[in-house]
Amino acid sequence: MRNDPGDPPHIYLNNAATTWPKPPEVLDEVARCLEAPFFEHGRSTAGSAINYPSETREALARFFHTENPDHFIFTQNATDSLNLLIHGFVKKQKAPFHAITTDLEHNSILRPLNTLAGEGRLSLTTVASEDGYVTLREIKKAVRPETRLIVMTHGSNVLGTLQDIRTVADYCAGNDIFLIADGAQTAGQVPVNLSAFSGGAFVFTGHKALFGIPGIGGFFLEDPEAIAAVRQGGTGTDSRSLAQPEEMPQRFEAGTHNYPGIASLLAGIRFIEREGQDKITTRIRDLAALFIREIAHDPNIILYTPAPDLPVVSFNIRNLDNDEAGYILTKAYNIICRTGLHCAPLVHDRIDGGRGCIRVSFSYFNTPEECRAAGEAVRGVAEGANR
Amino acid sequence: MREFLLESPLTPEFITFLKSFGTVKEYPHMKRPYFSFEQEHFISIKGFVGDSSVEVRYRKDFFDLTSDYFHLLLFYAKQGESGIHKMREITDSIREKMKVRLPR
Repeated sequence: MRNDPGDPPHIYLNNAATTWPKPPEVLDEVARCLEAPFFEHGRSTAGSAINYPSETREALARFFHTENPDHFIFTQNATDSLNLLIHGFVKKQKAPFHAITTDLEHNSILRPLNTLAGEGRLSLTTVASEDGYVTLREIKKAVRPETRLIVMTHGSNVLGTLQDIRTVADYCAGNDIFLIADGAQTAGQVPVNLSAFSGGAFVFTGHKALFGIPGIGGFFLEDPEAIAAVRQGGTGTDSRSLAQPEEMPQRFEAGTHNYPGIASLLAGIRFIEREGQDKITTRIRDLAALFIREIAHDPNIILYTPAPDLPVVSFNIRNLDNDEAGYILTKAYNIICRTGLHCAPLVHDRIDGGRGCIRVSFSYFNTPEECRAAGEAVRGVAEGANR
Repeated sequence: MREFLLESPLTPEFITFLKSFGTVKEYPHMKRPYFSFEQEHFISIKGFVGDSSVEVRYRKDFFDLTSDYFHLLLFYAKQGESGIHKMREITDSIREKMKVRLPR
């Protein structure tokens, strides 16, 4: 069985990377957006068309329970958001300082922080997780008088563990520490209430559980004064000034927006609101649990999180490289998953000796039948590798 | 990485031939009999015996030396013992060129 380019995959279980398929209304909204003239205050006079950036900011504020739509900044993706926030925070500091991160992080956090550490702009402590969780107690142990920044994930893209980010945010707010929370795996996956998130910044991406297309992401920033803008350019406002506008959101947005991406994000949020976040969260957790039940008792399968909080299941098969298992699942069973380090190298040192693992991740559009078939396929590969 | 669609399916004889040039892992009890081949610095291959589709990976820094290597393996595999001899000569020649670039 071959996967010809363009053929739909039979069972798509790589939703933690990019969800597929998208709700039909997302594709319709992208098409509608491209058919109409682009409209945004200051950038166009086409007043009859939809102002996608403005409407989407309103939708984001409603969805994430905050009253400041203009404090949502559009970016390309979570990596872009994290770069703008991390570099922007460092630019704002007058002297080198101490930052904290964790061993669960994606390279979108680890690489900017380590680059800046290498340049002497900050010193960095990486807090170790335990069973996939980072506790406030361990974070407090790492804090020094000169600690100004904590950057950590809200949900691990390898272990599917949800971090108690609210407790960390409360601690940071009381100790003059800026928190950047990476919600790439959680936005749209679990309810997120930013009104209960004291200070800091929350990062999201559009192409995962928010059902947008690749190329759109963003962040919410409560206090714009905490971050220096690292991009300058046209905003359609105050154009006589050669300085970047101070007001939000133009302060952090320069250049033409990704209108189709923003339109897809708007439609994705509306889809989640219509279906219900709680219903979606419950369904995908149930799908992950069903898959886990299918493989949990196989002695040739090493499962890294028996009960993940997010629909992300990572495992290895004894006597078979994860890369080869992925190839067999794809080619012999038409199951699309992800193998390797998942861009989160440090966590693998703790769980699998740094060799990587197989990750399957579920979406609202997967079915129980697909989960059972995938479980049966993984058991079949495990048996084939150990006979 | 390149995926090739071959004119004829991969045979057990080809897998045996590969063993003279690198590490072959075989999993005959999979749904389809899977194999992989790894020759350090040269290429790695993944595929199924009896299948016409195969995935070949090259090391970028030696691609100019190894881009034809998979096709040479296919060609000389059909020539039995003399094919092994000839392929070893080719392999040694490529390896000598690689040594110039490898860190000492």
